[in-house]
Amino acid sequence: MENEFLSRLNAPVLYALVGVVIASVAAMCVFFLVKSWRAGVKLGMDKAVLKKAVVSSATFTVLPAVSILLGVVALSGSLGIPLPWLRLSVIGNLQYEVNVAQIAATGIGLSGLKIAEMTPQAYVTIALVMTAGILGGALCCLFTLKAYTKKLGQKKPDAVHSTRKSFGDWAMIAMFVGMCAAYIGSYVGSAAQDSWLPLLTALAAAAVMALCEVLERKCAVRWLENFDLAVSMLAAMAAAVGLNQIL
Amino acid sequence: MNATDRPMTPQEKQRWFEQYTAGMHRQGRLWLAWNLFLLLTLPFAMGLVLDTMPDLNVFWKGFFNVAIIYYPTSLVEYLIYVPMLGSGASYLSFITGNLSNLKIPCAVNAREMADARVGTPENEVISTLSVATSSLVTVLILALGVLLLQPLQPVLENPVLIPAFDNVVPALFGALGLKYFLKGKKFAAIPLVLSSAVCILVPALIRQTSVLLIVIGGLTIAVAWVFYRKGALENE
Repeated sequence: MENEFLSRLNAPVLYALVGVVIASVAAMCVFFLVKSWRAGVKLGMDKAVLKKAVVSSATFTVLPAVSILLGVVALSGSLGIPLPWLRLSVIGNLQYEVNVAQIAATGIGLSGLKIAEMTPQAYVTIALVMTAGILGGALCCLFTLKAYTKKLGQKKPDAVHSTRKSFGDWAMIAMFVGMCAAYIGSYVGSAAQDSWLPLLTALAAAAVMALCEVLERKCAVRWLENFDLAVSMLAAMAAAVGLNQIL
Repeated sequence: MNATDRPMTPQEKQRWFEQYTAGMHRQGRLWLAWNLFLLLTLPFAMGLVLDTMPDLNVFWKGFFNVAIIYYPTSLVEYLIYVPMLGSGASYLSFITGNLSNLKIPCAVNAREMADARVGTPENEVISTLSVATSSLVTVLILALGVLLLQPLQPVLENPVLIPAFDNVVPALFGALGLKYFLKGKKFAAIPLVLSSAVCILVPALIRQTSVLLIVIGGLTIAVAWVFYRKGALENE
């Protein structure tokens, strides 16, 4: 039954629909790429510098993009492949997608992001919530970017930065700390009710992430920074399969 | 040398750049509006394929739970990242996603390599080139990856893997939790202990994580504010 539904979520026509949207966003990128290249030439910038910016950005992107691809794999068992492919190709990011899909799933009455409970209507409703919920930044751009950049233009170059963390920075960190604490607290609560698997999976992910942090900071394995989240998640998900057998 | 070949004077450069950015805003808004339209209609198009439609009553409830957390975050990201990116790269970044984990470091890296200063026309050009290239490479790699995933589809749909996919959220928050608890180590224990205690004492809240998120999130910001005011976060 679950297999059958997942197959429906991976129907070729859904790939085609998603492909159209991705192609449109890619066309926007090509348009801006050409426009900014021509602007650089017009401004008298060295073409070698422009080329270097393109090449360095392309090479910089390869590893994180592979990590993002692992995110598609991680989400494919609960949302199929086309939707995570879209979300991680163009507008979302792994942290947001998993969290919002979970909030949306519980918000519409499911116990969580579980394929066994998913119905076609729940799925498309979750997709709509995920889309509408992430539009804050894009809507700000649509309605206020011109005015905001004009205001910034009145400041002297480089005057917009400070190295010291403001309370705004701390508030962002605190919000994510609170979010993680809320989820982990709920897994502790579930464990108290005899459902240990979510807590053990979270602990497995934390252990792998701790190992990655040690390798990155103490052993200077910098490339791992691009992969630590995806690797920790996939390792913990693999652990969940084994733990489920034991429990 | 005719007038179009000679380098522009600073005044000409400024005037030309103002026209360029005005065009960038016009075209950026058109592209953005069009792509947002496509993104928002996609769930309905998927609904047609699956013989259903999104439940709009349920949607508003889910949307409220998401928006109350993510719209303020988006606003803060917008205010912080736009000065780094400039206009063209901002239009691209906020529709192509993966900002903090990819687009921002990529644009900053390109800017440093090109030695362009924030707020200059050169930075505008380099950031836009960088974000556009990065987005295209991401799209390409993901498309290739999804093609390669096709033979693996029967494996991914194997029932043995159901516990793995059912626990994708705990896996995310375990990993992310460690990262953020390290960043906010001075105050992280308070919300963690409180949230655990509340969920043990009131088990009904375990299924209400969206409510818990808002309460614990707000409380953690308040705790961080107290620590910040007392100067306890200065050397972090």
